[in-house]
Amino acid sequence: MSIDARDHEDAEVFDGSGDDADDDGDNKSRVARWADDWIKHPEKAYAVMLVFLGGVLLTTSLFPLYWLFNVAMAAPGQTDIPLFPATVDLTAFVQVFQQVPFARFMFNSLFYAFTVTVFVLLVGSLAGYAFGRLEFRGKTPLLFSLLVLSFFPPATLFIPLFRAFNQQVPMLGLFTLPVELYGTPGAVVTPLSAFTMPLAIFILTTFYGQIPDGLEEAARVEGTTRIGALFRVIMPLSAPGVATAGILTFITVYTEFFFSYLMTGNSAAEWAPVVDGVLAFQTQYTVRYDLQAAASLIAIVPVAILVVVAQDKIISGLTQGALKE
Amino acid sequence: MAVEQGRPEVSSGSGGVLTRLGTWTENLSEQAYAYLLLTPAFVVLLLFAFWPLASAVRMSFFADVITGGNLGEFVAVQNYVQLLTNNNALAPAAFVDLSFQTPILEQALFMTVLFAVLSVTGETLLGFLYAMLMKAEYKGRRLVRLLIILPWAIPIVIQGMIFFLLFRPGYGLLTEPLQQIGLFSDLPLNTTFDSFVIVTVADIWKTSAFMALLILAGLESVNQDLYEVADVMGASRWQRFRYITFPLVFPVLMVAMLFRTMGALRVYGIIESTTVGCSTVPSMTCLVTQMMFGSSTLYGSAAAVSVLIAIVVGLFITVYLLFIKQSNQSLGLA
Amino acid sequence: MARVKLTDVTKQYDDVTAVDNMNLDLKDGEFICLVGPSGCGKSTTLETVAGLTKPTSGEILIGDREVTNLPPKDRGIAMVFQNIALFPHMDVYDNISFGLRLRDFPKEEMDERVDEAARVVRLQGMLDRMPSEMSGGQRQRVAIARAIVRDPDVFLMDEPLANLDAKLRVNMRTELQRLHKQLDTTIIYVTHNQAEAMTMSDRIAVLNKGELQQIAAPLTCYNQPANRFVAGFIGSPSMNFFDATAGDGSLDANGYSISFDTAAVDRLGADDPVEVGIRPEDIYLEHNSVEAEDPSRTFSVETDVLEPMGDEIFVYLKPILESFDEETADFEERQGLLMSVDPATDIGEGEHVEVVFDRARIHLFDDQTGDAISHGVVSDADVEAGDDGVQVD
Repeated sequence: MSIDARDHEDAEVFDGSGDDADDDGDNKSRVARWADDWIKHPEKAYAVMLVFLGGVLLTTSLFPLYWLFNVAMAAPGQTDIPLFPATVDLTAFVQVFQQVPFARFMFNSLFYAFTVTVFVLLVGSLAGYAFGRLEFRGKTPLLFSLLVLSFFPPATLFIPLFRAFNQQVPMLGLFTLPVELYGTPGAVVTPLSAFTMPLAIFILTTFYGQIPDGLEEAARVEGTTRIGALFRVIMPLSAPGVATAGILTFITVYTEFFFSYLMTGNSAAEWAPVVDGVLAFQTQYTVRYDLQAAASLIAIVPVAILVVVAQDKIISGLTQGALKE
Repeated sequence: MAVEQGRPEVSSGSGGVLTRLGTWTENLSEQAYAYLLLTPAFVVLLLFAFWPLASAVRMSFFADVITGGNLGEFVAVQNYVQLLTNNNALAPAAFVDLSFQTPILEQALFMTVLFAVLSVTGETLLGFLYAMLMKAEYKGRRLVRLLIILPWAIPIVIQGMIFFLLFRPGYGLLTEPLQQIGLFSDLPLNTTFDSFVIVTVADIWKTSAFMALLILAGLESVNQDLYEVADVMGASRWQRFRYITFPLVFPVLMVAMLFRTMGALRVYGIIESTTVGCSTVPSMTCLVTQMMFGSSTLYGSAAAVSVLIAIVVGLFITVYLLFIKQSNQSLGLA
Repeated sequence: MARVKLTDVTKQYDDVTAVDNMNLDLKDGEFICLVGPSGCGKSTTLETVAGLTKPTSGEILIGDREVTNLPPKDRGIAMVFQNIALFPHMDVYDNISFGLRLRDFPKEEMDERVDEAARVVRLQGMLDRMPSEMSGGQRQRVAIARAIVRDPDVFLMDEPLANLDAKLRVNMRTELQRLHKQLDTTIIYVTHNQAEAMTMSDRIAVLNKGELQQIAAPLTCYNQPANRFVAGFIGSPSMNFFDATAGDGSLDANGYSISFDTAAVDRLGADDPVEVGIRPEDIYLEHNSVEAEDPSRTFSVETDVLEPMGDEIFVYLKPILESFDEETADFEERQGLLMSVDPATDIGEGEHVEVVFDRARIHLFDDQTGDAISHGVVSDADVEAGDDGVQVD
């Protein structure tokens, strides 16, 4: 399924239109010339097909976002949003911050995502190292237990956790959590860490397991401890895998709906997530769809930046085969 | 950088707690060291995943108490029997109704399985096309890759917002044309069939990127020499795909589909945020949340539904794993 | 620089004993090769010295320190690996200085040492390259520089040349010897290539199945192998072996009969089964028998396959037996021999020739244990007189 750069110059320009055939005044119609050309060079036909297909796919993929943008520019309460906005009116994007402390909502969600990601990468790395590089009894059952966790919907875990945090029901029947914890980031970060941990461990296990033993041994002979080798050699070499696990975790938590919403209060000062920020424009009496749309677009920005910065890492992270020395 | 000049070795034992801890771990056996490294992760998992899970499973054997959010007396498997025979009068929707008096899309089990099959199939097809787009080399590939990944990174609630607005009568662009060709009813977001379609499309839109990334991983790992061999042997593009790309990407494809199936069978957020909600499209997880947070709290039944979901997911995973194992054997990879 | 001493080191895995009661005592500044076939325990032995593997029992000393339970970083060792094991995410400078950075060396000293190490392995001007931009030989030199830059007490090398092509391997061999002379550090070098071991080391330790077979100077191992295994492993092409019975002053094998000096081989009684070993270069054509120190009687043989190597010709020989029935005899019974002759020799395939064995170079091994009984089957005085190659340790 690869098309190589060397045999399809047509794909150089990705404009989705394909109307740039050279006009050399030939009698033949443009279509006929294309047909001739494509029969002679099936690679070209393939490339054109790809361009066309890509254009269609991207349009469908992006249309909902474009339309959200349209809604954001509509007047408050306006119905029948047109395909093209009559005027460019960006006031909704400002109002979002004026009506509610939207920045604080976003900060809360980013804080959760960041904290959980760092914690999961750190703790998950230790576990991933053990699963990927060490032999020990009970390895398969422990890995399997991580998989089984993912069988259950997160909602299942909510009632016991809610009771542990809010009603001080003893955990494991042994000890109670401090009453102050509920309504703080701790009540969101700890369960979300537990939910995102299994996938991160699976990814890190795969990547750490691929690093040749020789490199770790070399690091240890040179003067690191085993732990030191993990952080100085194995993690940097697995950067794509670490990035992948990190981004998956970050996005999962940032886009998380259930716990961050239910384990906190509704106001920004009570550590409510960005979801509450978007829903804040929906009161009992009025719904400001334009503001909700604007808020939604703003909330996507941090993740979009993350994807731009890290997309090569994500892709190479998922595509990197065995690491070659 | 105040250090002894040319100190030849790491001085052992002189450092602080960390150094001594490091030295201590160096002398552990491989087994003990592995357990030490696993401890932090499993402590967190034990407290915030395994323990609540076990509590929930235990809850499923106790009777519902409609008010106060407490548990009744021990009733063994009665909750399960009620759910499977559609005898739970308080359930917001049927889990399964084997007499089929309830329409299929209003039975949580069948609705969810149908959703999973449709959305995973759609995501796989779309994901394959996306993956090819991301693999091909051309100017602007970075941008294309970003645009493909972007929907995946959008918070579910916001995605729900997008689709809600798209299909909301009076707002949505798409409602009218679809109504005109007779596909959608007057209030698509309040109609089970329409909402089911909307939710499925929304899910495909969002998660195809995830699928595409994993398939891309598979495509990238195919040894390029094989294509040269195929070219030398005069294989057509279709034959290259049929005999090289597909068989080699197949294992990755299976894993990606497995992950997505697990997600799709537990679908909830996208339903709650896209449409009028669980009342029109009752997925299995919808039942759990409705029973937990609804007007009457049915903790025992909610927990029983969770366990049933896990069993359904487990069955699907088993089928996948068996299938993967078998195809690995036939490919000689096992 | 330090001596290294292994006392009763044993490494037991679940069902195999990788290293069995290893005792080695290496002198300061010595170049020792551990050789043996794959799976003989040579790499595991090295790993116990490095600290990458803990021995099940036994004691390891480096210098005067007991290091058995110390982690690798505290042992004063450096190691070069078979797969080179450069850190792919670091450039050459960072690779070489990795150990120094871990030990918080000041920047100036670090630069100085890295430059010096790069000079020794001839890598000047390449410090900012990435490993992926270098050839196999250059990478190997970086790995060596990384090892020498810390000025360790002991160098451990685990088949460092195995992944290089043949020509480069020979070059690097000489470079390593030069390096050893220059640095005068104790080197433990693991290889399965007996030629590497022969050419480079002060002493060779031959291992098989986790046990030390012999530790001696290369030529001692060659001329006076301690047992049948060492005799067969050291030397290329390999020594010829055949079964024989010790009669009254003569060794009788299927097709060969060699008289021997009972005074020289006093441990043999009549009719004792023995295994006879003779190297290809110790078999001579009859007209060259003067070159042999102590020629045996002649044997009639038929030449089989010839392998001209350029500097010599390998000739496969089949004995001609009076009672031999070509049709029915088991092929194995015709114990073939390999002989090496001068390339100028006029010899063809399928010819009948007369050959002699050099009795001073015939090795006898115990039929059961494989232990050497005798090197040379004539009286000792005669052997040593003409045997200037042997250095008795």
